Parts: sequence; C-alpha cells; structure tokens
Amino acid sequence: MATGTAVDVVMPQMGVSVSEGTITKWLKQVGEEIEADESLLEISTDKVDTEVPSPATGVVSEILVQEGETVEVGTLLARVGGEVGASAPAPDAASPPPEPATQAAADAANAAASEGVEVADATEQPLAAPTETTGDSGSAGNGKAFVSPVVARIASEHGIDPSQVEGTGRGGRVTKKDILAFVEGGGAAPEAPPARAPSGQAEAPTPAPPQAAPTPAPAPPKPAPQPVAAAGEPAPGETFEPVTAMRRGIAEHMRRSLDTSAHVTSAIEVDMSKVVAIRAKLKKEYEAAYGVNPTYLSFIARATVETLRDYPWVNGELRGDRIVTRNFVNLGFAVELADGKGLIVPVVRNAETLNLLGLAKSVADVARRARDKQLTPDDVSGGTFTITNPGGYGTFHGTPVISQPQAAILGTYAIVKRPWVITDENGVDAIAIRSIMNLTLTYDHRLIDGALAGRFLRDLRERLQSWGEKDY
Amino acid sequence: MAIARVAEPSGSLQDAKEWGLDREDLLQMYRNMLVTRGVEERGHILYRQGKIPGSFYTGRGNEASAVGVATAMGPDDVGTPLHRDMGVHITRGVEPWRIFAQYMGRADGPTRGKDGNVHMADHRLGLIAMVSHLPAMLPVAVGCALAFRIREEKRVAVGWFGEGAAARGDAHEGMNFAGVRRLPVVFICDNNQWAYSTPTHLGYAVEHLADRAAAYGFEGVVVDGTDVLAVYRETKRAIEKAREGGGPTLIESQTLRMEGHAVHDDAFYVPKELFERWAERDPIERLRTWLRDNVDMSDDEEDEITSYVKKLLNDALHRAEESPLPEVSTLTEGVYATPEDLDTPHHK
Amino acid sequence: MAEKTYLQAISDGLRQEMRRDQRVFCLGEDVGVYGGAFKVTLGFQEEFGPWRVLDTPLSETAIVAGATGAAIMGMRPVAEMQFADFVSCAWDHLVTVAAKQRWRVGTPVPIVLRLPSGGGFSGGPFHSQNPESSFAHIPGLKCVCPATPEDAKGLLISAIEDPNPVLYFEHKHLYRRIKGEVPDERYTTPIGKARIHQEGEDVSVITWGAMVYTAAEAAKQLDDLSVEIVDLRSIMPWDKEAVLASARKTSKVLVLHEDTRSGGFGGEIAATIGEEAFEDLDAPVKRIAAPDTPVPFSPVLEKAFIPQVDDVVAGLRELAEY
Repeated sequence: MATGTAVDVVMPQMGVSVSEGTITKWLKQVGEEIEADESLLEISTDKVDTEVPSPATGVVSEILVQEGETVEVGTLLARVGGEVGASAPAPDAASPPPEPATQAAADAANAAASEGVEVADATEQPLAAPTETTGDSGSAGNGKAFVSPVVARIASEHGIDPSQVEGTGRGGRVTKKDILAFVEGGGAAPEAPPARAPSGQAEAPTPAPPQAAPTPAPAPPKPAPQPVAAAGEPAPGETFEPVTAMRRGIAEHMRRSLDTSAHVTSAIEVDMSKVVAIRAKLKKEYEAAYGVNPTYLSFIARATVETLRDYPWVNGELRGDRIVTRNFVNLGFAVELADGKGLIVPVVRNAETLNLLGLAKSVADVARRARDKQLTPDDVSGGTFTITNPGGYGTFHGTPVISQPQAAILGTYAIVKRPWVITDENGVDAIAIRSIMNLTLTYDHRLIDGALAGRFLRDLRERLQSWGEKDY
Repeated sequence: MAIARVAEPSGSLQDAKEWGLDREDLLQMYRNMLVTRGVEERGHILYRQGKIPGSFYTGRGNEASAVGVATAMGPDDVGTPLHRDMGVHITRGVEPWRIFAQYMGRADGPTRGKDGNVHMADHRLGLIAMVSHLPAMLPVAVGCALAFRIREEKRVAVGWFGEGAAARGDAHEGMNFAGVRRLPVVFICDNNQWAYSTPTHLGYAVEHLADRAAAYGFEGVVVDGTDVLAVYRETKRAIEKAREGGGPTLIESQTLRMEGHAVHDDAFYVPKELFERWAERDPIERLRTWLRDNVDMSDDEEDEITSYVKKLLNDALHRAEESPLPEVSTLTEGVYATPEDLDTPHHK
Repeated sequence: MAEKTYLQAISDGLRQEMRRDQRVFCLGEDVGVYGGAFKVTLGFQEEFGPWRVLDTPLSETAIVAGATGAAIMGMRPVAEMQFADFVSCAWDHLVTVAAKQRWRVGTPVPIVLRLPSGGGFSGGPFHSQNPESSFAHIPGLKCVCPATPEDAKGLLISAIEDPNPVLYFEHKHLYRRIKGEVPDERYTTPIGKARIHQEGEDVSVITWGAMVYTAAEAAKQLDDLSVEIVDLRSIMPWDKEAVLASARKTSKVLVLHEDTRSGGFGGEIAATIGEEAFEDLDAPVKRIAAPDTPVPFSPVLEKAFIPQVDDVVAGLRELAEY
C-alpha cells in the first residue's frame, strides 16, 4: 500500500452509534516517515480509545486536525505521501471512495453553479398548476357548492358550471350521477370543451389538442369518462429518458438568459496567419518545457483579456439600476462533458494576471477537471466574461447564449484557409492564402450598443492579426 | 454436578491419523487458522482506517474451534456459522477478497452490500447466512437436518450458538425438536465466557451448558476450544454418529473471547489475568508447537505458509478495494424470489 | 368438478400437491395422528407416512425455523399454526430469517404457513385474530386470504409453488359453512390478482376473506343500489389495478376488513385510492373494520367487534346518499 501520491487518513467509525472522535495524540509529525499499518495517531471516542494505523507507507505530508480537537467520523485528519504541505486534494486509489450521494450532490452543485443557478433552483420541481374548477369550488355557503373531485373533472371536461346542475346528494350536492345526467340531457355548454391539463403537470404554454375528438352533448351514458392518458407514457416509437439535474439547470438558465438579456450578435473575420505561425513555433517549446499545448483558444483568451481592459462594460454587468465594472477578468470557458450530455463553464480567475503560458495551462487544467468531474463549486462561479469555442466541429458562425449575469460572450470558430485580398507594401492588391477565423460577440444590448461591440471586435482582431514573436 | 463428558486433549500424530487427518490436512488446518486470524486483523485495521462502515466483530481466540469443526464437516454437510466463526467460512472455501468486499459494503461481497460484517454466507458452499437474533439459526439448522432425514440422505447439519444465546427459547425449541426426532444435527456452543459484558454465572446456572443435552435426550461433550485437534475429533465423532442415525450431539467448545464484543468495546470488564491466562493457550500457537513437535514442521515450511497467507491477504485486499460500490438500483431488487432463484444446489 | 366445502378444498389441494411432488411435506402440532385441529390433514399420515406428515412438539419457533431450514435444503414445507394467533411465537423466524434471506444473500425460502384465522364463534382474544396486515408490512413475505373453495385450493397450490414465504390465511368461519364447485384437476390461482365477486355500478366494496360474504349479504339487502364487490384474494401483493378500476367506475368506495382498524391493510388501500384515483372520487373513501381492541369472548361483544351485515348496509347507504 506504499504510495507516492497522498493517501487520506480519516476519522474512523468506532461503533455504529459513534459519530465523532477526539484526537488525543499525533504519534508522527509532518515530515516523519511512517510504515503502512504503523500507528499514526491516538483517538478517543464515546466507546473506546484506540490507535489509528496509517493507510500507507510514506512521509506524513499534512496534519489537518490538531490534538484535542473533536471531529465527525469521516473527517480528513491527515495525509500520508505526496508532497509535504501539499494543499490540493490528491484523490488516490487507496483512499476511500467518495460516497455516491456526496458525489452526486457535488455534480448537481457543479452543474447548477456553472449556469449561475442556485442549487436549490436546480433541484426544485415545477409546481403543478391547480385546476381551475377545483380552485373555484367551495366558495358559496349554501351546502350545495362542494364539488367532489370527479364532478369537478367532468364539469371541466364538458365546460359545465356545476352550480347550474340540480344536485341530489347530501345537502343538494351535485353527485357524479347528477352531472352525467346533465351532460346526457344536453345541458353542456355548446362550445368545444377546453383541453384538460394532465394532472400533476404544469399547464403547457399553448393548449394541446384534446386527446379525444371534442364531443359536445350528448356524451355516452357509460362507462364513466376515463381520465386523459397520463403524460408519463411515451407514444409508439418514442423513448423517455430522465432529465438530469445538470440538464434541468442548463435548460432553466438558457431560458432565463434569453428572457433577461437583449441578445444581439456581431461577427468579424480575423486573419490568424501570424498566430498560426507563432503557435507552430511555440508548440514544441511549450510541450517540451511545460507539457502544455498552446492552443488557439489560449491565444484568443490572452488577446481577449487585453482587449477587455479597454472595454470594461463588456466585462461588466447590469445589476439592478447599477452598471458593474471590474479591475479583474474571471474568464469562463464553456466545456462539453465527456459523455456529450451537458456542458459546464469552469472559470479561470484573475485571467489578467496570466500570460499566454499561464492561460494555456489554466485552460487545460479546468477543461480536464471539468471532464473528470473534479470541479469544485468555486471553479464554476464568479465568471465575468465567457468564451465558447464550437469551432472544433468546423462551424463558422453561431449565436451563443450569454451566461448570466454577464454582459457578453465571445464565440470562436474554425480556422480555415481562404483566398484573401491583401494589400502589399506598395499598395497593390493581391489574393493570398490566409488562415481566417470568424469571431462573434453576443452581447446584451441593454448595456452594450452595436458600435461598442464593433469597436471591441475590431481591437480584438487587431491584437490577433498583429501578434508578435515577443508577445506573451 | 457435571453430566456432560469432558473430552480428553489432543494426542499424538497417531491419534490424528486415526480420525482421518494426514500431514497435509494438519498443515492446511494451520494455514486456515492463520488466514482466519489474518482476515480479521486486516479487517480491524481497515475498520480503524475508516474503510469499513458499521460495526466490526472478530473471533480472536475462536480460530481452533471454528476451523476444527469445519474440517470435520463433509462436503455435502451444511452449517449456520456465526460472527465468531470466520474459520468456518475460510475452511469451506470462501475467498478472503470477497470477505473484505463484504466488510467494506462492496458489490462483490456475498451480500453485495445489503448486509455487513459476518452476516454473510455462500450457500454454494453449504453455508446459511446468520441473522443478528441469536440463536435464531439453531432451529434453522434443525430444519436442514429434518430435510436430510425425510429424504434419507446421509448428510448432517451443524448449528452454532453462543453461551449467551443459550438462554433464548429458540435454542431450547431447536434442540428439543432435534432430540425428539433424532435428527442428524450437531450443535456447537461457542462458550467464550462473555455475552457482550455478561459473564457466564449471570447467563446460566448449570456447570456446563453441554449438561443440558441430557435433558434433550442426547450426548453432551465439553471440549477445550483452543485445542483444534480435540475439537476436530469430537466434532468428527458427533457428525459421523449423526450421519449413521445416532441423533444430535451438543458440543460445548470452551474459549475466551480475546477481544471486546465488537472492536468498539475494550472489554474493560474482563479481568486482565483472565486474558493473560488464556493468551498462553493461543490456539494458533498451540497448533504450531504441536506441528513442530509431532510432524516436524520445518522453518522453511513455516515461512512458506506465512508468506502464502500474507500474499493471499494482500492480494485479497487489493482486489476487494477495486470492487465497486453497489448500484443504488439494487436496493429494491430481490426482495421476492423468482422461480429461477430455486435453481440452487440445495434445491436439485 | 364437485361441490366441496372450503375446508375440503384446502385439504384436496394439499393432498394433490403431496401426491405430485415428493418435496412437499406438512408439519405442525397435531397434524398427523389427529389430522389437525380442524381436520384439514385428516388421513394424510396414513397415506404419506409420519415423516411427511410430521407431528411436532408444541414449538412454533421450531416449526417455522424448521420449515425454513428444510426449504433452504430444497423441500417445500407446508407448516400449520394451530391458530393464526400463535404465529406471534414464530414472528422472529418469519420476519428475521425467512423474509430477509432472499434479499440479503440470494437464498429463497419457499415455505407455506397455514394460518387458521378469524372469529365469529367466541374464540376469544387468542383464537380469533386476523393478523395479516402485520405481515403484509414485512418486505419479503406474501399474504393470501382466499374466500371461496375454488380459490382456497388454487391459492394453496400457488403458495406451495411460490419461491417465497407465503402466509396462507384460511378463515375458520368459512371452513364448513361455505361450499362451492371446485375443479378436480390441479390448477393454480394467481397470487396478486383480485376477483370480482359481483359487478355493480354505484358503490365498490373492497374486501377479502369472510367479509366477502358479509358484503354480499349487505348488497342483497339494498336492491336499489348496484354494489360491486372486489375480493382481493391476496393482500401482499395486492391487485391495485383492479381496485383502482373499480374506484374509477363507481367513484364511491368502501374498504371492509375483519382486522382492527388502525394500521389495518384497509388504510393502505384507501390511501392508494386517494393518491391515484382522486379525480375520480365522488365521496370520501370509507373504511369499516373492527374497533381497536383485542377480540372479545362474549358473543354480544364479539358481534360488536366483527363488522356485521347491518354495519355494511349502513356504510353503503351513507356512501350512496353522499
């Protein structure tokens, strides 16, 4: 069980009813060597005092709970192996696997947070709309007004006001028999009955056509009308799959964003030839020296961060009746999940402090952690501007949705070689083969006008087109 | 006044041979006892490392009793071992990695995470899983024997209980029914002297629990539970008698529970001197000495056995840790059996 | 096909299975020489011998646990409790061992426990109970409660065939009072499927066991009312679809049982109708059950305890007039 990476030491459960334990003594200190199963610390619980054996051979790299402290069962107490003083959690095969519930909760939190949604919102079920007839019932005090569930349903299906029906039940209540007789006798309203929303479902924005042909009176005497087929049954050829918490979060957020911001998209063409050439040179160097690939995205990110400095509103936010601007850029990147069934927007914080290499590393890191589901809620919140890159699939244009409450989102598309009109030093026009990429800026017109967006895109293009060998 | 026969201690190699054990059998018993203790020691470490949820029980001090009884059982015999009887599972062939997986609540444990610790059994190996309500499995073993008797099969059931559970009605009903019908069942009472914190004098008033056998019309035997060969001999005798239609036997195997009821219990109520006295009769050490004295177990052989056990347990632990946690969807599966479930060895 | 009593139907079904399948055997107190307290196994020992018709000591625990062990070893035990009331002595082995073994370790426990239940003849607190709802609450157990001779035989054979522990509640009051046509050949009645005892349009009665006849008698007295009687036949599993279909049809439901009211299985049925057929109801679901007391001895008290035809008539009227 010896290991080079850090292994967690947790507070064990000494008995079913025991929920916490106290550290009485650390038998090893940070930096000391320990063998697997050698005692690392002493604990005291309600039931027993015992020693906790080390789960691994290595150096005690961290002690997180001090002597005298009482913590819950399962609390991380120390780490053995890995780098001394390492603070990043290093998941390891030898450490206990996370409980599924916790992981699921973390995933849901990530999914929700990535879309700027409160976790509670993401898990909340839509409330069923109460049916109107039930809502109207029981208002009058003449003993006749109580409408039973089945009478309410029949009344609703046939567009009948139950108070118009003669009741024979207790206290003159309209019974099911009464209302069916009323329907049979042609008492139903002549207009087509309104479609009944399936029970337990929110009302659809546009009424769906009724399942059965609308038949005004007379209705067949029996059997009693069957309820409309539940929405829970797929039609022939259809398959249902459950909506994940992440998908629900995305759906809710996308809708809300479109309902909030006045989305407008502007596009610009950028000659990426210089970037292509410089990247080709840097690629080998970065990969050899730093193990990181300087992607086009990192060049664009770097240029974007620089340009945002000159356009604080593009990096800003409309918050109530205030306009928020910042002296920092938290840059979000939309990342598709490994299973292709969702996206997440991890954020590189203080991107203005990173050079090209730093951005390349950070982007690679958050993208990997997003795909491996290792993001923490902090990784997916607090973005001030977002870049989305659907260009990997060859698309050359799009109109992405703004990640709320930001003001704009940059779309980057495929770099393609195109015949391009250039003007040489002598002022002569010529056609050259150039690497061209489209960029779009989708912005909230409530805050950003078209001219501002145009200037932002122009400056961004200029930065990319004039990328110099010394620019990092 | 003692009624039960007190068994004589184990003798020479010649005696062992008489009861059907050759040299390899004897070494295998030693190996099984070491694996038994090793599994529980590893489990205890895992528990203290927080890798095993719930409670954790060990049978330290009971290895000879469990391995001795299980070695005496025939391949078609069945049994209902309890939480001090890990040695029965090991001897019957339950692989240690599945036991670790069971401890950790993984999908590959015999109960696939639905039950924990020693609440397990592999029915393909003739074992029936215990419940916590002791000695509920005793009359179940009687029922197994009843099936053998009705079908006139030469098979025997072994039922276990502790001296604490001997106070419960099921023990009486099971033994009475078995005695009345002279069923092929052997009752093993693991008398480890402590029912949680309750000592024997607060649990029963006879001298030996095995004395009760006379009241049910069959033989009672008291045996030293740290003497694996004596346990084996007495069980073998009882099983063969039952197999031939001679009815049940109650064997009281005397040991000391060398740890707490479970590992959260430090057993402060057990006098220190008692632990010290019984530590001198450690069942594994006793067999080791016997093997060196009687069958010339060499240093090399001993080393080989020790490293075999170590490797077996290490590999088992790794394999168990790779076992996945159970799918949550399995929670509601299998509450009711389907006709296909009846396709087990017992039902053929 | 011949007319038989409910008791003869049980006896025939058991005998037929014992002749057909060597694994089937019965055990219990006085089931052998005496033929059982109610003579269900009369003559069995002569035919099948003392090891397949086994007189046990007075030991409910040993009977149920013994049946469990034998079942795990491949037998098909049919154990008798002399009275259903005594199953409390074997609770542990049913609930702790038999019910959970399949789920925990994959070992099925195919046992049948015959439980002569029900009152109406001054059996008092310990010879009259209907404890089915207690066991319906235990995951892993099945509970069947036949009302007719035909079902008594078909359900017993299904119970023996079933790979699970099945509690077979045979109502003592029906043993010799109820006669009906019973097919001679072997047949099974599916566990979990209700039977419509009589069709109706206005009110539904959901019931089982002896109360089927109480409901039928009440319906007869109400010629102006069309009453549908649903005989559940088994309460675990229970035929939810049949109950909901009847509730949707009549919109007025009476749930009737001989067991006591609070925590009785009728509560589960009423709750399910409320959950799943709310929009089809034209009146609150009504329950008629025994009061929350032990079963009394004196006839006048027992009459007040067990739901009577008059009680059901009143309940049906109340629903009709609602």
